[in-house]
Amino acid sequence: MNCLEFRRQLNIDPQCSEADFVRHRQECPRCADALERAGAFEASMRQALAVPLPSQLAESILLAQATQQQHQRQRYQRGGALLAMAAAVVLAFGIGMRVQAEPLQVLAVDHMNHEAEALGMTKPVSDSDVRKAFAERGIVLNKVPADISFVYCCPVGRYKSVHMVMPQNDGPVTVLYLTDDNREAHKDFTQSGWSGRSVPMAHGTLVMLGHDASHFDQIENVWRTALQSAAAASNARI
Amino acid sequence: MSAVSSKQRQFDALVRSLSGDLFRYGYWLCGDHALAHDLVQETFLRAWRALDDLRDTAAAKAWLITILRREHARLYERKTPQFADVDDIDIADERDAHMPEFAGEENLIHNAMRKLDPKYREPLLMQVLGGFSCEEIARELKITPAAVMTQVFRARQKLKAMLDGSTQEAAIHELS
Repeated sequence: MNCLEFRRQLNIDPQCSEADFVRHRQECPRCADALERAGAFEASMRQALAVPLPSQLAESILLAQATQQQHQRQRYQRGGALLAMAAAVVLAFGIGMRVQAEPLQVLAVDHMNHEAEALGMTKPVSDSDVRKAFAERGIVLNKVPADISFVYCCPVGRYKSVHMVMPQNDGPVTVLYLTDDNREAHKDFTQSGWSGRSVPMAHGTLVMLGHDASHFDQIENVWRTALQSAAAASNARI
Repeated sequence: MSAVSSKQRQFDALVRSLSGDLFRYGYWLCGDHALAHDLVQETFLRAWRALDDLRDTAAAKAWLITILRREHARLYERKTPQFADVDDIDIADERDAHMPEFAGEENLIHNAMRKLDPKYREPLLMQVLGGFSCEEIARELKITPAAVMTQVFRARQKLKAMLDGSTQEAAIHELS
């Protein structure tokens, strides 16, 4: 390394510790002096660059970090609560969908079992009680079938219904008239040991459940007559 | 839980050991005491979020300076930097209200440094304040090591020239 290269390196990096640089400094007194002056300049520059720090700099940064973390935690907690609510809604919706998805025969038997005490009733209810129950569902019933021992407006799953019991010699038959859905096919079924039949009738569906299906035809006929006349009356009023 | 504590301890150590250097670096980048404080704080907040990326503690300072420079660049996009057209203003009058007065040569160097073109000032800052080699500065600034050498060489030359001029001017003032 010659003097020119040494002086150049002095302006690039005075802290240089390369062997050539150190050797030249030892061999050349004028460059050694230049290095000393450069060292003094570097020290002055370092001192000038070392501007005073704000008081509590580190503490203020740590405080900002802790505050930000706290806000994030709160956001996560709020987010968690929202997530829990969303999960509950999804769950509820899922349960609702499951209820919705249950076949009518399952819903009907479940409902009948929930109100099993109605099966033990044998005293006939009045025609006006039956008319009143149908009227609650928006159906004007002119002709009321005989031998109804129980009548009540009940929800059956997703359906609105008039729940009735019609005692027969060999046991009661539960009759559910679902007032606003007649999409169910006419079919006989067995469900949980019960015989059943669903019949689209007027604007709704008649469902019969009993230990014996032998009375279903007769009950279907009387209700078809009653409900068709009710539908005719409704249409006439319109 | 212990992982979180360990991360927090690492962060505390970084803040306590490097926030001063980062502040000074930030100050010389933006030229404003309060802005430098914000820059350093934002740098460390970003560093906290990305702390898992820091594998080599020896590289922590370079890593933080990279974050700080990015933050400053974002700031630069939003605000006109104070160092622009510095020759048009009276540096002594523009002294940050938070900064104490510098005396003698230190004051001259301070003013000269503020007048230095950023393209010369920044590599010099990285070398003097950051302690980085020319190769490290080259990587950070995405230029060649030879270009870094040229820039720090010229930076020192220009500083010395400005200081020589100021010293002569001061001497004339003293004589008059």
